[in-house]
Amino acid sequence: MIIQTTAVSKKVETSAGPLTILHAITLAIKAGESVAIVGASGSGKSTLLSLLAGLDIATTGQVLIDNENLGDLDEEQRAKIRADKVGFIFQSFLLIPSLTALENVMLPAELAGRKDAEAQARELLGKVGLGERLTHYPNQLSGGEQQRVAIARAFIGQPKILFADEPTGNLDSTTGHTVEALLFEMNKAQGTTLVMVTHDTTLAQKCDRVLEMQAGELKEQSVDVA
Amino acid sequence: MWHKISWRLLQHELRRGELTIMAAAIALSVCAVLSLSLFSERLQAGLLERSAEFLAADRVLRSRDEVNTEWLQQASDEGLRWARRTSFNSMAFAASDMALVDIKAVSSEYPLRGQLEVGSQAFAEGAPTDELPQSGEAWVASQLFQRLELALGDTLEIGNSEFTVTQVLTHEPDSGLNVFTDSPNVLIGYDDLAATGLIQPGSRVNYHYLFAGDNADIERFESWLLPQLDDVTQRWQGITDGDTPLASSLQRAEQFMLLASLLGVVLAATAVAVAAQRYCQRNYDAVAIMKTLGGSRGLISRIFTLHLLLLTVFSIALGTLLGYLLQAGVIYFVAAYLEQSLPAAGSGPYVLAIGTGLLCALMFSLYPLLRLIKVPPLRVLQRDLAQSSLRAWLQWLIGGGTIYILMVVYSSSWLLSAALFAGGSMAVLVLLGISRLFIRASRTAGMQAGSSWRLAMAGMQRRAKQNSVQMISFATALMLFLLVLALRNELLADWQNQLPDDAPNYFVVNVADDQVAELNAMFEREQISATDLYPIVPGRLMAINDELVRDAVSKEERDASEFREGFGRELQLTWRADLPPNNNLTEGNWFSEDETGSVSVESQVAERLNLAVGDELRFSVGGDEFSVPVSSIREVDWNTMQPNFYMIFDPATLQTSSATYIASFYLAPERSDELYELFRNFPQVSLIDVDTIIGQLREVIEQVSLAITFVLVLVVLAGALVLVAQVQATLEEREKELVILRTLGAPGKLLSRAVTYEFVILGALAGLIAAVAMELSVFLLQTQVFAMQPSIHWRFWILGPVLGATIVALLGKAVCARLLAQNAAGLIRRLS
Repeated sequence: MIIQTTAVSKKVETSAGPLTILHAITLAIKAGESVAIVGASGSGKSTLLSLLAGLDIATTGQVLIDNENLGDLDEEQRAKIRADKVGFIFQSFLLIPSLTALENVMLPAELAGRKDAEAQARELLGKVGLGERLTHYPNQLSGGEQQRVAIARAFIGQPKILFADEPTGNLDSTTGHTVEALLFEMNKAQGTTLVMVTHDTTLAQKCDRVLEMQAGELKEQSVDVA
Repeated sequence: MWHKISWRLLQHELRRGELTIMAAAIALSVCAVLSLSLFSERLQAGLLERSAEFLAADRVLRSRDEVNTEWLQQASDEGLRWARRTSFNSMAFAASDMALVDIKAVSSEYPLRGQLEVGSQAFAEGAPTDELPQSGEAWVASQLFQRLELALGDTLEIGNSEFTVTQVLTHEPDSGLNVFTDSPNVLIGYDDLAATGLIQPGSRVNYHYLFAGDNADIERFESWLLPQLDDVTQRWQGITDGDTPLASSLQRAEQFMLLASLLGVVLAATAVAVAAQRYCQRNYDAVAIMKTLGGSRGLISRIFTLHLLLLTVFSIALGTLLGYLLQAGVIYFVAAYLEQSLPAAGSGPYVLAIGTGLLCALMFSLYPLLRLIKVPPLRVLQRDLAQSSLRAWLQWLIGGGTIYILMVVYSSSWLLSAALFAGGSMAVLVLLGISRLFIRASRTAGMQAGSSWRLAMAGMQRRAKQNSVQMISFATALMLFLLVLALRNELLADWQNQLPDDAPNYFVVNVADDQVAELNAMFEREQISATDLYPIVPGRLMAINDELVRDAVSKEERDASEFREGFGRELQLTWRADLPPNNNLTEGNWFSEDETGSVSVESQVAERLNLAVGDELRFSVGGDEFSVPVSSIREVDWNTMQPNFYMIFDPATLQTSSATYIASFYLAPERSDELYELFRNFPQVSLIDVDTIIGQLREVIEQVSLAITFVLVLVVLAGALVLVAQVQATLEEREKELVILRTLGAPGKLLSRAVTYEFVILGALAGLIAAVAMELSVFLLQTQVFAMQPSIHWRFWILGPVLGATIVALLGKAVCARLLAQNAAGLIRRLS
């Protein structure tokens, strides 16, 4: 198993008292699997994603990535895991506005201290069809193009796991389909595990497995049909 | 690898204008400090050079005895130039008559600063000379030509020696303004002094030792010499020591420049602080993304620290260049205007400016940077997350500490800085309270107003916390601007008042009682504007409340006092029915008509001698002793060119026929040839020409006025930058709001008006607060620092709000213009 959780829960303090966002979530994801997490707004799917990706830590329970218990690691060590094993795609793209497309894609590799960042970034941007727009800044690109840059950035570290948070949520349906296709294609080519949060049931159906969140609980696991 | 990321971020962000405000703020602080301190140092040096001419040296050591020659050797060893000037009163005999004269024997190096002027005709214009009287020669002041009916080439007998009169001495740089030394000067060479045989043990002789050289050399010598001086018989004097006519003007100018540059720096620092905050806020996402992508905290700290350092270095370099150019430009115009070149400045201003830039940039960025580095990666999913486990007091501590350090650096006084700082902090707290109140009140008012207004008020209320901080910045910037403007006007008006175009340029002394009417008639006939003729009777203050004066004044007080010699010798007493012009009563009442037997005392003397209304003073006048109570205490403006007195009696107490009279009058320079004719009928009257001194004073005032105007411009720039930085800082918040309102279909005009109104209200309120705060500050400064009469500036109460509303609205709209011009889709895209 590349990702494994045991009775993970998340509580936060609010002005109205403690609030439990996740209740004892236990799940396991195999390497190379693609999993969609669906659910209504406020059901806790993004919180689950943040725990799985090590952006936040669980109040109780365990999250293991590649057999490492995130709860035992400090923020620096979790950053190292993200650098080595994880890629991200966000609904709002989250490109750094003052860096060009090329530089945005290079960033993870540079942060990891890799020397071949530029060549790899060029190649990846070529693959997502933006080979001609290397020096454009994010605000000079359309939403679809920005998300393609984000996809290229996600794959530059050759991650074992790719987390995607509503990757097409900000795009019109045609562009959304193009981006989806690209995402799945690259995922397949690189053999990455994909964990995706989405509202879009059609998109969710394209995954190997769909997990549904309801009020902080994992209600249903539709098992892989393929 | 990480440094490449820093460099890349800097390059792109600079090019894209994202760092403009931050860079401009740092550059401006450096530019302001550098140009100001370069300019003021050069001007200061220029002024001191001019002013040193009043002493004929940079420093003078006055002594009642000859000083140890070792001291002079030490001065030479320190690289100083020095000269002797030995002076005393003696009788001088000409063929027909004799007169009491003031002999000045000077060594060949005299004068060290300024120039002597000589001519061939008494009371005519002289020309500068670098020469001195040769052995056997004497140069003689105009008055003595008049009194002894001398001509050039005549012989003057002084003690055992005979001198040939070879020049009319028309101007001595160190002749000063003491109009009571009515004995005319006779200048001879120092080597001729011994032969006169006039200096005997017990003779009353003033030994003056003049020193000039580099400031550093002088200061070294000073610290070596001062501990060795005998406080009673010796006195060390510099140009700003308070007893030259220029000293108080110079001190005020110096204080003003110091204060204004300090305020300028505080403004620029505020701009840096605001810009740094925004710089870091803008980078929250970048940090969160980098952390999500696996960047460690150490790595990200390094990236942003280097980024900030590079930005700082770039901005400082820019500021230094601009500051140098600005100062050079100003100096170019000033020098052309003054017909005088200003000496070059040292490296001090550069160190100060660059240091200030570094301190501002780094210290004010520290807290935002710490916050930035702590931004959690989770922010990528929860956009409102901006971790702030750092306490706000840390920010206040760092910011406040930095401003305090800057104040200490600029004022070199821990105490003054602490006082200013405490006052400033109090003011900020009060302002914060007031602005909150105003904002709340305006909300209530806004509910009844039209929709744009309501929107504006709602906006203000929503951003109440931000807005009250913003309002403080606006108010502070406006206040400093108004303060500098008001003070500039006050100072200039004050100086101009002291020296109107027709300020008296001659003193006439030694007028006999029976000539008073005739002289007044002459002034009237010739249309010469003159002051009243004041009677003078020499007298001594013997006792205060029956304590002898010497016993009443402690040694320390006497030593510290500039009047300590004043009461060992005779005083010039006068009487008068009404209060003289430019005198203000501070205590007691002026003599009523039927009142007899009292005296009015000048305030500084009263302070030194610890006198109060009602104290009994015993005087000795012409052998008679009598006691009178102090009926009032007066402030006297000693810089006016009119006869001024420490003691004024009511007419009944002192009136005597043995008095002589003094007045000052203005005679246009083109009429100076007439002097001899005008005073022909008054042979025993002495004239003292103070035209040159007035000319020098005017020149100094002109220089200082220019400097002050320059300071004003810099303060305005710094203030505008604070405003822009502040408005910029709220842009993102506004963007979000505009998106919502636009999407809901709010018409562009409504939004545009709402933004304008919000800034108008903010600006007007800030302007009003600024006017009130300015009034208080000016009052404090005028009374506590500049020793001026306080005044109220009503027009600033209108000007403040109007100026505030206009400037803030214009700047605010300009900054928001791009936002307002966008359509909803564009705005949404900017936000995403």
